[in-house]
Amino acid sequence: MTQAAVPVVDIDGLVRDDEVHRDCYVSPAVFDLEMERIFGQAWVYVGHDSQIPEAGDYWTTLIGRESVVMTRDKKGDVHVLYNRCPHKGARIAPEGCGHVKGLFRCPYHAWTFNMDGKLRGVPYREGYEGTAFDIEDPRFSMRKVGRVANYRGFVFASLAEEGTSFESFIAGVKSSLDNFCDRAPNGTVSVAGGVFRVMQRSNWKVFFENLNDTGHPIATHESSYRAARQYSNEKLGGEMPFQLHIIDGNGAPPKFWSDLDLHAFDHGHSYMTAIFKAPDDPLSQAYFQSLAEAKGEEAAKQILSVNRHNTIIYPSCSPHTSFQQWRVIRPISPNRTLVEIFTFRLDGAPEELLQRTFIYSNVVNSPSSIVMTDDVHVYAECQKGLETQGGDWVSQHRNAGQDQPFDGADGGIIGVGSSELPIRNQFRAWHQYMSESERPGDGDAGS
Amino acid sequence: MTTPVSGTCPFVYDEIRDFLNLEARLLDQRRFDEWNALFTPEGMYWVPLADQQVDPVNHLSLVYEDAMMREVRINRLRHDRAWSQQPRSRTAHSVSCIVIEARDPDEGRVVVGSSFMMNEWRSFGLRTLAGLYTHDLLLSEDGYRIAQKRVDLIDSEGVFEPIEVFI
Ligand code: FES
Ligand SMILES: [Fe+2]
Repeated sequence: MTQAAVPVVDIDGLVRDDEVHRDCYVSPAVFDLEMERIFGQAWVYVGHDSQIPEAGDYWTTLIGRESVVMTRDKKGDVHVLYNRCPHKGARIAPEGCGHVKGLFRCPYHAWTFNMDGKLRGVPYREGYEGTAFDIEDPRFSMRKVGRVANYRGFVFASLAEEGTSFESFIAGVKSSLDNFCDRAPNGTVSVAGGVFRVMQRSNWKVFFENLNDTGHPIATHESSYRAARQYSNEKLGGEMPFQLHIIDGNGAPPKFWSDLDLHAFDHGHSYMTAIFKAPDDPLSQAYFQSLAEAKGEEAAKQILSVNRHNTIIYPSCSPHTSFQQWRVIRPISPNRTLVEIFTFRLDGAPEELLQRTFIYSNVVNSPSSIVMTDDVHVYAECQKGLETQGGDWVSQHRNAGQDQPFDGADGGIIGVGSSELPIRNQFRAWHQYMSESERPGDGDAGS
Repeated sequence: MTTPVSGTCPFVYDEIRDFLNLEARLLDQRRFDEWNALFTPEGMYWVPLADQQVDPVNHLSLVYEDAMMREVRINRLRHDRAWSQQPRSRTAHSVSCIVIEARDPDEGRVVVGSSFMMNEWRSFGLRTLAGLYTHDLLLSEDGYRIAQKRVDLIDSEGVFEPIEVFI
């Protein structure tokens, strides 16, 4: 039996230690293979369980090309199901966040399902008597995705039944998820304030590469940090209120960026140390107080001493632990990427802290951000340039060969802040995912 | 005291219509300083994220900008290295269905609803943004001033490519 025609992609020929071929970004065949081998296998972020607090709540999203729905059942368990009716295929849950009274009802012929996907009832029952239809047969229920993991409320799923365990997948950056939650006096966080959705005219990997790319802010964001500085100088005698401060940070000199640390881990993950901190004002003090009351002063100090900018959880999301942002990356096509941005409340912290978090989101992550717009623009320029025949290779040489094993907490590899280590690290994982196929029948992949 | 108005007072209505048209004109001609000067010192420019959003502070917004943030946005739009403004956005606003929703003559305050369309051409092509405006206006010695301009995009919860100029 022959497989569906998958164009031959020479994976080994696309990735070198310090550069990658442009086909990684522009080739539809490579994109198709990524959907199968990366998004069909990896642990992909689905959502946070605070989005579905009650039984009957649901949240729809994408894993690769698959429309899926995350649900909460009566027992409080979270499920991730393909959003597809076993009858004629209609999608069952409408887009977004919603609630049903105890069961899903397909809008087409009214088959009903429990929140775990199990078929509960079909109209015209008598018509199925004596046929192969069996209400207990799983093929007449909504299909569950391969595996689901819920770590402190963050729900990840893998379409594959087997493969790397979630524990080993997340190991390197688990401390970022812990710090994200530990910053809450109650130890839990919850999604708040809505979702920003931004479409980028570029490949999904371009965005991932940018998240820990400290070489770009001073050039890409010049218009916004200059605009903030101009206002500060003309109107405020050089003073920088919070909003201007976070815009201004991008204009720090090269030495500032090199002095940061970049930490990289297996499976393409990484994180970098923080660029800017929350101001030391009465609000920060009140927040510290609330954390110290819950956990003790020493523990609170320790938690807040972990100050990180973007963490990368390859290939689907990027938490910002210090300002409670969570970006989700959904590849749509080789040159389209949807980014969804969530903002979290630290449960038990003063309500005003969430207001400041919203201010941060509005400035940095809104589709109207005066900072992000230049990022999105240069991503699209990369995509257009890579589509030309002006050169086949994309450089990742900055500080190549200088990365060192790190023997501190989390282990992994460390590089100077200006290194392209995280990008090389992402492509190590990319190469690994793309070379392995767990689909039966693929035989010896070779190359 | 705020009295909802069913009919419209012709005199006020004409002035208000002229004011909304002028505001749109200033944006389309990139006369941003003059536009920004139409606001009261505390005036806010607000583009909610949620449908019928009531609160700009305890919820995310697409934009919630005071005089400072509007001016920073203007500074950026004029900067030579505003990469995504090459070519710079060109816009044409249309404002219609202007309705006086409430007025408080004692305070010189009028709430005005309207519909708008903004066509914008920029590096990625032509797009249309559409929705409802709600202008909270104060009558001062210099004419009307904006205490709040609220822009409810009909697709506020949808997917966007970057929005750089004022809607
Ligand atoms: S398609 Fe769902 S019940 Fe028929
Ligand atoms: Fe950036």
